[in-house]
Amino acid sequence: MTAIVAYPLLTALVTAFFKQSLVVPGRKFVGFDNIVDVLQGNFFQLFQQTMIFTLGTTILPFAIGFALALALNTRIRGANLMRGLMLIPWLVPGVVVSFLWMWIFNGNYGVMNALLAPLGVEPQAWLAQPGTAMWAVIIAKTWQSFPWIMVMLLAGLQTVPRELHEAAEMDGAGTVRRFFAITVPQLKGIIGLVLLLEFIWNFQHFDIIYVLTGGGPAGSTQTFATSVYETAFRGYDLGHAGALGLLWLILLMALVVVYVRFSEKGEER
Amino acid sequence: MKERTPRKAPALRADRPGVRVAAWASVIVCGGFGLLPVYWLLATSLTPRDQVFSYPPRLFPSEVSFEAYASLFSNSQLFTYMQNSIIVSVVTAVLSVIVSAYMGYSFSKFRYTGRRALMYFVLASQMFPQALLLVTLYTVFSAYGLLNTYTALVLSFTTFTLPLCVWMLKGFFDTIPNELIEAALMDGASRLRIIHSIVLPLSAPGMVAAGLFAFVRGWNDFIFALTLAGPDKQTLPPGLVNTYVGEAATAWPELMAASLVVSLPVALAFILLQRFLVSGMTAGAVKG
Repeated sequence: MTAIVAYPLLTALVTAFFKQSLVVPGRKFVGFDNIVDVLQGNFFQLFQQTMIFTLGTTILPFAIGFALALALNTRIRGANLMRGLMLIPWLVPGVVVSFLWMWIFNGNYGVMNALLAPLGVEPQAWLAQPGTAMWAVIIAKTWQSFPWIMVMLLAGLQTVPRELHEAAEMDGAGTVRRFFAITVPQLKGIIGLVLLLEFIWNFQHFDIIYVLTGGGPAGSTQTFATSVYETAFRGYDLGHAGALGLLWLILLMALVVVYVRFSEKGEER
Repeated sequence: MKERTPRKAPALRADRPGVRVAAWASVIVCGGFGLLPVYWLLATSLTPRDQVFSYPPRLFPSEVSFEAYASLFSNSQLFTYMQNSIIVSVVTAVLSVIVSAYMGYSFSKFRYTGRRALMYFVLASQMFPQALLLVTLYTVFSAYGLLNTYTALVLSFTTFTLPLCVWMLKGFFDTIPNELIEAALMDGASRLRIIHSIVLPLSAPGMVAAGLFAFVRGWNDFIFALTLAGPDKQTLPPGLVNTYVGEAATAWPELMAASLVVSLPVALAFILLQRFLVSGMTAGAVKG
């Protein structure tokens, strides 16, 4: 078990210190050269784009998932059916999500342009322009992620004791007040967990970005995941891929540690 | 894992008109975002090919045509991808369940140094970036001449299905009372005998669930099959990308039809799993 996961990862990270090609055997120790190269290259652009993608695909699905969970937790008609139907986007394979949104965002015949036309938006090639491509990718990933968040929060909502709400209502607390004073604090644990997991997953998400844009146009949707892949399997340059991967993992761990510290502090208060 | 959450525990009362309106508004807006693309997938797959290339697109196809599905099933390369997908996902599922049954049992019933650390490592390994893992997997498989084989795909899929299955099965084994095992020990049963005749039969539902999960994860994989296999061993997800994406005029109805067909086994697995899924997925998280 350790062998099957830890060994490959460590070997991959070790290549950071070698000049090594995917197709030519043999390697040469180069110390920190690769890491310096990567840091002097487009590392900060990659970091920025990865963060935009990760934050966008964590916050947007969370907002949609939370809104739906709250709505479906009331006694409106059809809530059960809706809960089931809403899982479809989460169930379909990642490449299907990509195909579907590639078609929706298609510049010539896409339905997105047709829907936005009445609002006065000019037809756009959403996935082919650096300004819009990242948002298009984020929306596609959001569509895939929100159902899982909805399910988790719905499960959390059902554990909130009804007595708390009844008592607060007796004391004259309104819906909004009860939401912030009861629902949110009661769900704190699960909200924290969902956000953390989404952040980690999205930080290394590959499939949807790669199929929708391949990191383009002009590298504007390139993230650490797609860039490591491109460097290793299109550029055959394992040394630089390993170096980028090493920095990527260190960054992720640092961000997770900061997050955990931060949420523990919140707990103490 | 078996307990059920009470069905009626409304956190917000829908009695108040304000709440009711807000609830409906968010269901319509978010629900539209969730379901309109699904409608579009279905509608496009049923549109005749020549009607797709028109702007503005027709929101309702004027005639329903199954030509996309017909041309899909006459494509022999797609058939190969489908066959590969089935072989690789099924073998991955079976292998993952067998290995993780023993590992999960060890995590659940034995106490040894480093057990906890190992357990968390298994979980943390879910978070390792696959693009990076691939660098080594590719080099190793290439050194052993395993590139473009089912073995390479199964082994690489196992890197992400195994942690998941171990974790799920450990949860199942935890629910088997230790007294049962102690009683069997007293009667002289060997450790292996206990696993095979008591623990595994009792956790059959858990093993089926873990197997289905592993199957779905393998079926949905894109990056490993894309990199480690060529056209004759590739599975459907990279196969479809290679077939349809990047062409000058993508055959959208066909691609949408293919998307629907690829999604079917996953939907089926989900229907089988549904009861387990929601409770299993949330049990640990909500309580913890």
